[in-house]
This record gives sequence, C-alpha cells and structure tokens, in this order.
Amino acid sequence: MTWWRKADWLTRSGLLCLVLLALGTLAGTVLGIGGDPDEMVGPRLAPPNGEYLLGTDELGRSMLPRLFEGIGTTLVLSALAVLVTAVLATLLGIAAGYRGGWLGEIVLRLVEVLHSFPVIVLAILVAAVLGPGQTATICSIILITIPLMTRVVRAAAVSVSERDYVTSAVISGARWPRILSRHLLPNLSGTIAVQGTYALSVGILVEGGLSFLGFGVQPPQSSLGALIQQGSIYLLAAPWLVIGPGIVLVLAILAINVFGDGLRDSLEPREARSLV
Amino acid sequence: MTHLVRIEDLVVDYASGDGSVRALDGAELAIGAGETVGIVGESGSGKSTLGAAVGGLLPGAATVARGSVVVADHEVNTLRPNELRALRRERLGYIFQEPIGSLDPTMRIGKQVALALPGSGRRADVLTHLERVRLADPARVAKAYPHQLSGGMAQRVAIAMAMAREPEILIADEPTAALDSQIRAEVLDVIFTLAAEIGTTILWLSHDLPAVAKRCRRVVVMYGGRVVESGSAHAVLDMPWHPYTSALVRAVPGAVAEGERLVSIKGQPPVLTGAAEGCAFAPRCPDALSTCSVDRPPVVSVHERDVLCHLAGQQVGVSR
Repeated sequence: MTWWRKADWLTRSGLLCLVLLALGTLAGTVLGIGGDPDEMVGPRLAPPNGEYLLGTDELGRSMLPRLFEGIGTTLVLSALAVLVTAVLATLLGIAAGYRGGWLGEIVLRLVEVLHSFPVIVLAILVAAVLGPGQTATICSIILITIPLMTRVVRAAAVSVSERDYVTSAVISGARWPRILSRHLLPNLSGTIAVQGTYALSVGILVEGGLSFLGFGVQPPQSSLGALIQQGSIYLLAAPWLVIGPGIVLVLAILAINVFGDGLRDSLEPREARSLV
Repeated sequence: MTHLVRIEDLVVDYASGDGSVRALDGAELAIGAGETVGIVGESGSGKSTLGAAVGGLLPGAATVARGSVVVADHEVNTLRPNELRALRRERLGYIFQEPIGSLDPTMRIGKQVALALPGSGRRADVLTHLERVRLADPARVAKAYPHQLSGGMAQRVAIAMAMAREPEILIADEPTAALDSQIRAEVLDVIFTLAAEIGTTILWLSHDLPAVAKRCRRVVVMYGGRVVESGSAHAVLDMPWHPYTSALVRAVPGAVAEGERLVSIKGQPPVLTGAAEGCAFAPRCPDALSTCSVDRPPVVSVHERDVLCHLAGQQVGVSR
C-alpha cells in the first residue's frame, strides 16, 4: 500500500491506535473477556487487582467488560451518525456548490442556522424532543456535524466545478449525473474522508458530553460518557472508575485527529499542485 | 456569405460585490467557416468572456445584457439546455490556458480521452487520438495520471480531447501561455495542423500580437470590451489604424532597433462599470480628439477592415 509507506510515524501510530482500539474492543466484547458487564460479581468499588483488572464500580460490576461495552457503544453510535452525516453533507454540499443558485442559498442558510446553536444546547434540545437514549445521541451528532461538513464540501465542490476539466466535460456533452459521478465525487472524496475523521472525533465528544449530562445512553448500558458520569460521583474514593474511560476517550480522539491530519496532508499536495 | 459565428452588439456584465463590471461593451465579430482568427487584447479586455460566450459557457455571475451570439444559425443565449448540449458536443472544442488543470487529476489519461470520444470510446481509438497530437508514447501516456505528465504533454492530451469529436470551432484561450517557450511552437503546430486536417475554425485568444499574426489569417484586437480593429493579419500588423493597435505594435520587443527604448502604453486599461461614454481608449490615446471621450466611435469599414475610431473616420474620409 503506497499510502502507508508515504505516511509519517504520527499518522501511522494514529491509525494503528484506532485499529487496535476497535479490534481490542471487538475481541473483548465477543470473547466476553472479564465476564458479563451487567453482572454484580465482586465487592463494591474494589481497586484494580488480579481478579478485576480495572476494579469494580459502586454496584460491584467488573469495570473491564463495562469499558469494552462502553467503547463499543460510543464508537458504533458515533460511526453510524458520521456515516449518515457524510452522505447527507455530500449531497447538500454538492447541491449547494455545483448547482448553486437558490438551492445553494437555502442549503447554506439552513446549515448556518444549525451551526449557530451551541453544541450542547442543540443536543439537549434533541434529547428533549426524542427522549434521552441512543436515537437522540445519533441525531444530535448528525445535526452537530452536518453544518461543519456541508460547508467544507460545498467550498470544495465550488472550486472543483470551476476547474477546466469540468468545463471540458460540459463541452463534450456530459450530463450532470456523469459530471457528478466521474469528476465531482472522485475529486471530493479526499475532502470528505478528512472531514469524516474530524466529524468522528466530534461525534465521540458529543456522545461523551450528552451521556455525561444524562441525556445520552441510559443505564444499564454503558458508554464512555456514561461511565465517566457514573464514576465521577466516586471520584475521590475510586478514581479508577473515571481514569480508564477517560484515558480511552482522550486516546481515541487524539488518534482520530492525528490520523485525519495525516490524511489531509497526504491528499493536499496533489490538490495544490493541480491548482497551479 | 453566411458566418459560422456571428456576435452582434454583445454586452456582458459580471455581478461583483457592490454593483457590476462590464466585460463586453458592444462587441461585434463575424467569423466564417475555416478561418483562423487571433483575438488579441490585454487581461480584462474581454477576450476570454467573448470566447466563453460563444459556447454559452459564461459563469453564473455573468449576465448577457444585450446582443446576440449566433453559432451555426443557433442563437446561443436562447437555446434550451438540451439544444445547447448538442451544439457544444457537435460543434465546439475548447483548449484552456492551464494544461494540468484541464485534466481530471483522479482519472487516467486513457479513460478521460475515452469519455471525450463519441460513443463508448475503444482503447484503439484512444491511442489513435493520442498519436494524432504527436505524443511520443501514447500507450504509456494513456496509463498515466495527469500529474505524471509535463505541461506540454498534458496540453497535447487536452488538444486530443478537444479535437476528438472533430469540432467545427476550436476556441483556444491562451493555450501556450503556461508552457515553456521552446515547446510553444510545437504545441501550436499540433493545433493548427490538426485543425487544418479536420477543417476546424480556430479562434485563438492571446495577448501576443506578433505570434498571432504569424499563424492566423485574421487578427481581431479587443480593448475595453469592444473589438477596436479587425482585418487580415499582415495588414493590421504592417499598418495599424487604431491608435491602440499601433501602440501594441510599437510595444513589441524586437520591433525596434537594438539600443532603442520600447514604447509602453501609458496608463491602465479601464474597468468599466457601465457603457463607456466615448472611446474606452481615449484617456490613454496620444491623438485623442475632444469628441473621443464623449461620443462612442462608429465602425469604419474599408477594404475588409473594421476600425472603431474617430480618427480613422477622419483619415479615410468615410464614416457611417
């Protein structure tokens, strides 16, 4: 893979970290490492030890399987939401950037209205309308990441549709579906991928914030945000409840952003070159 | 004689920030089939807008305020989208200034050329078209991506794509401006030979008057959004009538003896926001009369030459 060889060590370690996190969580969940996350197996608030690697919580549940479940929930919810965002933002961005006109104005104004809400206020509003839970979490992430991504995709679509090769395609009689699929989408894919990684880290943060406030994932299901919220009550007595999920949260967001930056750097030199 | 392209009193405005900028201010041009026409003018003279108007390719910010563009008996500005598509596909080819930018960076050359061909575009056809623009190794070029080509090779590919459907009109907007000087002549040779074989009319937009005069039968000089002088290339170059044209001729390096200073044109080209009141060149014209800045000069036509100047009318003594 040429991309891997060209990437620097930071980008590689970011990607590696993400893959390990995802695979480790998958393995831990599927194999049931550490036992059942909902079963009360041990003493309450036990510190990490040989039997319970990450200690136990206030109900005596082992933290290791709860952490696996938490990472899984957070990643799956964020990834699902970002997938939806990517599709919608691509459609909206291309509609606004390539088609332009009144349609573009409408899309831009709507996106700006969404963007003007503070992130947490918007998330609480969604939770209030839909009721707290996974659906509200996913919808919040979508609504929060769509404006960011749509605007970047629109800007890129404007610049691509002004390129001479698009004009050439128009002159050679290409209809818009062909211009969209052959020229716009391939040239926007890098931008969409990079923005997708940023949206994913925003998604993880939103899930954390929403669940921390109690509007996101509901007990007994765990997520990174829910774990930190439950553990924060016993912060002084049992700091391991918060430290585990906290480290994972920071690590995941750091890895995604580092990887996203590397991805952008590896895609942009060529785009910059084609502009000269 | 029926003309392949006939532009009459074309006025094009660009919307910008506050107000609008007038790119074309009553441009007139008629081109017959098989002609080679060079349009010369500074940046901002409106030549690129004129070239875009022929294909109905004006950007969204531009509005046609007045006038008509007729290509092969079709009024471009009022064509329905499908008819415009057919007109472009069957009759028009464009070559742009920036060769790398006119190729899609995400697609192999062979694939792009195939898309430009009529029908499905077989591999053999692709190679034939790449050979026609005298690319040394068509098979290798077909497999390459645009960023792997040099500027000259990329421009040849762009020419191959523009000429693939054997257009009636080829509009080349400064096709060699971004290329090294030693390959300019080769690329121009390719364009003109190919066009002569197919019988394509060439509309070459440039700011290089002598280069244009060398290859084109006819030269059209634009200034301030109007065609100020047009006529056969050697006549315009040898005996320019419009003061702007003669200033251009005097400003050409190599036209003066060694040691002599080049004569530059004082002042800046105008940025029009509406119709120019008089002659757009009047503020920079060394021979301007008092009427020049008040009355728009009429077209003076003598011996198949058109000049847009009050002075020319006086000199020749015929005025319409």
